[in-house]
Amino acid sequence: MSVLRILEAGLRSTVQDRGRWGHLREAIPAAGPADPGAFEAAQRLVGNTAEDAAIEIVGLPFRFTLEAPRLIAATGREVRVRGRGVVGGWTAVFARAGEEIAVEGTARTRFAYLAVSGGIDVAPLLGSRATYLPALIGPLPRVLAPGDALPLGAPRAGADRAGGSLPRAEPNGRVLAMRGPHADRFAEGSFFGRRFRVSASSDRVGLRLEGARLERSGGEILSIGVAPGAVQVPHGGEPIVLLADAQTTGGYPVIANVIGPDLGTVAQAAPGEELSFYEVDRAAALEARRAERRWLEASER
Amino acid sequence: MAERVVAFGEAALLIELDGRIDPDLAARAAAIADGWERLGHGPAVPTYAAVLVRYDPLLVDPAAAEASARELLRARAAPPAGRVLEVPTRYDGADLEEVARLSGLSVPELVAAHTSREHYAYFLGFAPGFAYCGGLDPRIVAPRLASPRTRVPAGAVAVADGQTAVYPRGSPGGWRLIGTTDLVVFDLARDPPALIRPGDRVRFVAQ
Repeated sequence: MSVLRILEAGLRSTVQDRGRWGHLREAIPAAGPADPGAFEAAQRLVGNTAEDAAIEIVGLPFRFTLEAPRLIAATGREVRVRGRGVVGGWTAVFARAGEEIAVEGTARTRFAYLAVSGGIDVAPLLGSRATYLPALIGPLPRVLAPGDALPLGAPRAGADRAGGSLPRAEPNGRVLAMRGPHADRFAEGSFFGRRFRVSASSDRVGLRLEGARLERSGGEILSIGVAPGAVQVPHGGEPIVLLADAQTTGGYPVIANVIGPDLGTVAQAAPGEELSFYEVDRAAALEARRAERRWLEASER
Repeated sequence: MAERVVAFGEAALLIELDGRIDPDLAARAAAIADGWERLGHGPAVPTYAAVLVRYDPLLVDPAAAEASARELLRARAAPPAGRVLEVPTRYDGADLEEVARLSGLSVPELVAAHTSREHYAYFLGFAPGFAYCGGLDPRIVAPRLASPRTRVPAGAVAVADGQTAVYPRGSPGGWRLIGTTDLVVFDLARDPPALIRPGDRVRFVAQ
């Protein structure tokens, strides 16, 4: 079995697959990638699927070597891969055995994904290889560290796919969202169309927004199931967009739900940057989802 | 509150049954969640009186998903058969005396009130394996803490707002701690890892 050896692990890097969706009723969050689009793009570039596991990197650089040559790809905001030369992110690279490779970024990089053809081949726990750090759930339930040797599955694609790319437009701060189940508890115009600033206390659980306090009417709500993309408004009035590590249920009103294809724009927003939310209906959300699918499937043509 | 099925983004629906905490509603929510998962469209999360159901809108037409959800609302599926679980408890929690004082009870009276009935497990939420159990003796007065503890130990037995629960693992928490159990309510070596399931009735037994 071939392995990936970590030389420098970043700050809070973890093994993730598409998420542990089979145990929500036991209150086990799905976890999985904070930016599902960037994760899947990296996987497809190396011939994997979203069922396979890759590495989510927080805090670049991340340096490693591979025991045997493999197709790799890194995605994320402003990432690049440094080996024999420097290749931009969102591009498949054929790495040589023993070659030292670094995934690098900028101050704006939040979540980067490193996929290796064949995937990180740790045995699934409760049906998934995803890591949920808050409760240490996963086959490798911790932050990756230098010296780790991660087992790799059999490669799915080879050197002929090197150079393939799936570029994604840099986020522009515009996020599409549908009205949430409690939108009518808030005044029109209190959320959609307004600009918010990203708080420094954002993490994989949720992106916290500052700059406007939303006033609500009506009493408390009973807890409901929630999901990544849900925009909760807690008592303080500053909205939180839930991300991959969010709890399975929540007791705060949900004013909106960010559409799936725009979760990446939210997750990748850096503290201090601004986000604006625009209301779309389900038909427009579905059209955006189809466009994302066409983009991801372009890697197979 | 009228029943409704509303979009929760483009890949989920929220089925709301009511706005009350009631074992019959929670049982119905759990039955609807079971029915949804049998359809194979995706996972479901039942709570007190609502169910969040997920689907892939590129595989299942949203209108068809809504029709399925309304169909499940009409069907009156049998509630899940619950078990009775005993939780051996040492009444040594940090807030025991404060809760007794707020309730106008002596500590032995509080312990007797907490151990004298079965508490219905409504649903799991907040943290892996955390079961919201209702039917607390109404004499027990325990508002949530104004500022939650950053760390509640695993096995803490807590009360808040008419409910009781066991903290499965060390986590932050805003409920008031009245006791401790050695019973492991969440264990990744088990499948399912959570000991308490919705519909179970939980009886605390003083040690």
